[in-house]
Amino acid sequence: MSQHDRTHHAKIATGKGDPQCFKGTADGPPKFKVGDRVRIKHLPDIFYTRCQVYTRGAVGEVAVVTHESPAPEDESFGHVDHSEWFYIVRFKQRDLWPEYPEAFANDTLQTEFSERWLEAA
Amino acid sequence: MSSTTRQQVLRHLALVADLQPPVQKTGKAPYPTDMTHDLFRAFTRSPHDVGGEFDVPVEWTEEEGEAWGYRAYVTTECLAWRGVWCAEERRRMQNVDLGTSQYLGLPYYGRWLLAAARIMVERGDCSLGELINKFDEVKKRHEPAR
Repeated sequence: MSQHDRTHHAKIATGKGDPQCFKGTADGPPKFKVGDRVRIKHLPDIFYTRCQVYTRGAVGEVAVVTHESPAPEDESFGHVDHSEWFYIVRFKQRDLWPEYPEAFANDTLQTEFSERWLEAA
Repeated sequence: MSSTTRQQVLRHLALVADLQPPVQKTGKAPYPTDMTHDLFRAFTRSPHDVGGEFDVPVEWTEEEGEAWGYRAYVTTECLAWRGVWCAEERRRMQNVDLGTSQYLGLPYYGRWLLAAARIMVERGDCSLGELINKFDEVKKRHEPAR
């Protein structure tokens, strides 16, 4: 009585890889480019997200425009019809942690977001 | 760094530390009037989002892989090849759906195994009754003979 969609990831990613199989499937061109200042939105994170809560509201700089893929919040429940752009964003550690020592003011942290979590800063 | 959102986020991280298992300090099934927006957010967060939560330093040790762990991993990969789930659905089930106590309290590959069993029941590959019976059968196999 199984009703899996066997045309899903297993089929589309064979020989290409994931997320390579989603190349060209975003709804438009990337909204941000390398060097852009972005703020992480503080959206509700009920049920599933991969947007770390400690980054919410913080401002960083786009380090890499990486790939296209369904967003984790959608893909985690099997919704793969819409893809969006992903970005690696670089933060100053001191912008994330109030008590971060001033002696290490140059320290940075990079992590990845789908476009829905970013707004221009 | 002084934005309201940042203050909210840092307060959230401190509050989450108070909810750590096994003992929750806030009691069970509170009245709605006792539930604040901050508490709701802390309770409904994704348990795998541990970055920034208060904790003690963890000593890093290299563990040798165990056969059952490798088998658990291969099982979940086979399920993906058959189109039963994709990696993100698996991560949701093994890292988030099971809640904070199980996320922090079970062995790493124990969570992979639980998720594999769960997806098969949810997708109808076996019924929960069948799984429970199999579980019981295997368990008895390992019990000393009476």
